Amino acid sequence: MISKDIIGRESNPVRIKIESHMVRRFAEAAGIPFSNQVPPTFVGTFGEGGIDGVDLLQYETIHVEQKITYYQPVSIGDCITYTRRITDVYERVGRLGKMIFIVIETKGRNPAGEPVFSCSSTMLVLGRRAEDETPLGLSG
Amino acid sequence: MKHLWDYRVNDPLPVREWRPDILQFRQFAEVSGNFNPVHLDDAYARRAGLEGAVAQGVLTMAQLGAMLTDWMGEEGTLKSLEVRFEKMVRAGERILCSGYIKDTSLNALICEIMVVNDRAEKVLSGSAVVTFNTPEN
Repeated sequence: MISKDIIGRESNPVRIKIESHMVRRFAEAAGIPFSNQVPPTFVGTFGEGGIDGVDLLQYETIHVEQKITYYQPVSIGDCITYTRRITDVYERVGRLGKMIFIVIETKGRNPAGEPVFSCSSTMLVLGRRAEDETPLGLSG
Repeated sequence: MKHLWDYRVNDPLPVREWRPDILQFRQFAEVSGNFNPVHLDDAYARRAGLEGAVAQGVLTMAQLGAMLTDWMGEEGTLKSLEVRFEKMVRAGERILCSGYIKDTSLNALICEIMVVNDRAEKVLSGSAVVTFNTPEN
């Protein structure tokens, strides 16, 4: 269950090397030019690193906000260690009734331990993902 | 040619046009690891109350990122990018990414950025901070 109890939980660190083929595939799929530069939103796809007791795949979610701060350039060949952390869970009452929001922050560091980027995503949690054909009441 | 440091408050950024389609949503799922079926399957998306498959937020954001990097070239560095996803982006729409200079400082531009669909609905709004690269001596 998603509640304030999960605030502060974090994943184990995930270490990746940014390979040219990963970046090229990202650019191709996004339909943006690839010139051996890492597109700024590439770090927004760093989603490995499960957080104990938090399986968002069980839920229908909508991405409502994303904030990325860059402390250092990210280049092909760089090694990055990132950690994902639940930084907030809060409720709002809206037209769909009670809405639960969850904020997940991904922080990346270089091998010297210096911050490279911080990426914060806010998701609206709509409820458990339907196994049957029950309408979920999502609206665009 | 207009340089980054020539931009003043209210100057528009070059616009980027994007025509999303469901094949692209599926390709992007592969690279982003987001396999939420509302991006991949029209029928599932309709059961969820949508009119059809919708774009991943991160894919729409990538278009804005491309708009900014095309504009900055080698002259600037993106320091922050913040967006709010306000409406769904659907396959088949004509999407326009745009922005303007909201504020300037000695070494940075603060930009308001937005994405609208062909019904002139704002689907995303946000801001970006760009600093000027100093040529290496």
